[in-house]
Amino acid sequence: MIAALLPTGTTPLLAAAVASGTVSLWLLLPQAPGSDWLGHRRGALGLVLGVAALAALAWAGRRLGGLGDEAVFQIVSLVAIVGGAATVVTRSPVYSAIWFALALAGVAGVLLVLGAQFLGVATIVVYAGAILVMFLFVLMLAQPSGLAPYDRVSNEPLLAAIAGGVLLALLTTSIGRLSADPPACCTIPSRADAVATAPVGPAAADALAADPLARLGRELFGRHLLAVEAAGLLLLVALVGAIAVVSRGEVAEATRKGAS
Amino acid sequence: MNAVLPSPTTIAALVKIGLLVGGLMTAAAYLVLLERWIAAWVQDRKGPNRVGIPLTNIRLFGLGQPLADGLKIILKEDFTPSHVDRVLYNAAPLLILAASLAIFAAIPFGSVLPPLGIPGLPDPVPFLVAPGLDVGVLWVFALSSIAVYGVLLGGWASNNKYGFLGGLRSSAQLVAYEIPLGLGLLGVVLAAGSLKLDRIMEAQATSGVWYAFAQPLGFIVFLVASFAEAARLPFDLPEAEQELVGGYHTEYSGIRLLLFLVAEFLHMITAAFLIVIMFLGGWHLWGVTGSAAEVSWAGALVRFAILSAKILGVIVFFMLVRWSWPRFRFDQLMNLAWKVMLPLGLANLVTVAVVEEYRPWLVERLGSSGAGWVALALPWGMFFVGWIVAGLLTPSGTDNRPIHTHGPLDAEQSLAEDLVEA
Repeated sequence: MIAALLPTGTTPLLAAAVASGTVSLWLLLPQAPGSDWLGHRRGALGLVLGVAALAALAWAGRRLGGLGDEAVFQIVSLVAIVGGAATVVTRSPVYSAIWFALALAGVAGVLLVLGAQFLGVATIVVYAGAILVMFLFVLMLAQPSGLAPYDRVSNEPLLAAIAGGVLLALLTTSIGRLSADPPACCTIPSRADAVATAPVGPAAADALAADPLARLGRELFGRHLLAVEAAGLLLLVALVGAIAVVSRGEVAEATRKGAS
Repeated sequence: MNAVLPSPTTIAALVKIGLLVGGLMTAAAYLVLLERWIAAWVQDRKGPNRVGIPLTNIRLFGLGQPLADGLKIILKEDFTPSHVDRVLYNAAPLLILAASLAIFAAIPFGSVLPPLGIPGLPDPVPFLVAPGLDVGVLWVFALSSIAVYGVLLGGWASNNKYGFLGGLRSSAQLVAYEIPLGLGLLGVVLAAGSLKLDRIMEAQATSGVWYAFAQPLGFIVFLVASFAEAARLPFDLPEAEQELVGGYHTEYSGIRLLLFLVAEFLHMITAAFLIVIMFLGGWHLWGVTGSAAEVSWAGALVRFAILSAKILGVIVFFMLVRWSWPRFRFDQLMNLAWKVMLPLGLANLVTVAVVEEYRPWLVERLGSSGAGWVALALPWGMFFVGWIVAGLLTPSGTDNRPIHTHGPLDAEQSLAEDLVEA
């Protein structure tokens, strides 16, 4: 979609943005002491390259409708990208978790701007509100006396940066290649078709057409019912398994103490 | 429309935000005074009654007290201890206050205005900052889970063991009680068929049956869980003064402490709003407000007044509970959440689902009023059954002996046996 609306001249710009982003990530990733051939200029150079990459991406992207939409979109996507990069670059695990939460908030903002309200808010509830709080909990309890060595350096900064760059390049080109109308094999059925083919009464169809959230619910618990139920069952089994592992550990410890 | 000038919708939203933030902050200041009055009344004291209009001798029952309190705490020295993590220490109070205020984007504070006829502004104007948000209930839920970060980070960044313990207790409590809170919400959402809070109020006004009467079990679960989410007594373990000095805000002073305290008060106000909107009919009162979508100016004012009065009533209830109940112990708190509130919430949800599923069938068989009575009788039956079962099966909350989960394998016991044998 992006490429269809862009002049062809932006492809080199996108490639340059991806490359400079990759190099910036490699420069910014925490390295083991001794491997520093750039010295203290490393961080500054990485920052400059990163800002250049962001600017190129923002300039090459497709413009949204109004000025307000555009500004909000740019801000939330900037928050998402910077948060994501800072998550891997920061040395302190607690700060990494906070940056990750910020990245999630940015992603949720992007989803809200694009009109996917349920998905946006669910991202915050599930990831930022539940999972990441548990992470923070463990991180804060785990290292009261400073950082462990494995937190201070990145193991494979070069390979990690290259992998990230390749992923970014692939996604950019594949999204850019998508034309306005995808091939027939992969057409997503339109909402009108989904409502028309779903076995519901006329009143229900009207209600569905009015409320996108109700339509999402109908999709999930109609067409994808089996997948939803299977996912629920899987989570339940995982929960029971976790409790079983914990209580067996306690029993084993008690037996060991009793025997000694 | 000029792209630079904001549209009437934006201006309306800004006006609503201004009114809401101003109203909430004033309300929070005066609710502190109300809380002190109620505390004094419960303890048979006089309470603050001296501060009136500044520089005069007019006392006005102490109505100037919030101004004096506010000035005092703002002008206090804002001291930052040297051992804190500065960035997070400064960010935590801002985060928690921002999250607590942003919640109100999705909470209606009245019904609708009568048609104004302003071009570009769709009539009628709702008393709601973000009327386009379809997932209002989830928004409230998401931002109240963000508020956990403020508490957790404030406790951790303080680098103080009391603060950290308070932060840990608080986040564990908030995460645990989010689940019964969500189950209570789900019952209402299922019955109303919408995630928008204004639609939930409309549904109660149309049927005339508030969800507190239609789902008594859900109401109790939600009420208890919202007490815990607001960290009010009997759930105020995060800042138990006798044990933790001040909990997660032990190291804070001056205006940053004020931000934390205001955020806590806003949590209570949010909880009161949600209880009234979701279970006590919102702006609806039988025979007074009606349930029409269009209202006159008088009707809009009456609805606003009724909603505010109900919210004030719930807040007074919150404050009276504070002086009537002792604090829970931490294991009692967790037992209540996981072993009592969670099953009760699930029972309520299943009952509501069954009632809503078979309502058309009931209406067909029994007529609409008969179906209404059956739809009320089933949840009330479940309420009493659930109450009795929970009372019989749950572990005694006052038992102070250590819990032996593994009976014969218990380490101390087998050690004692070994010693006896030796």
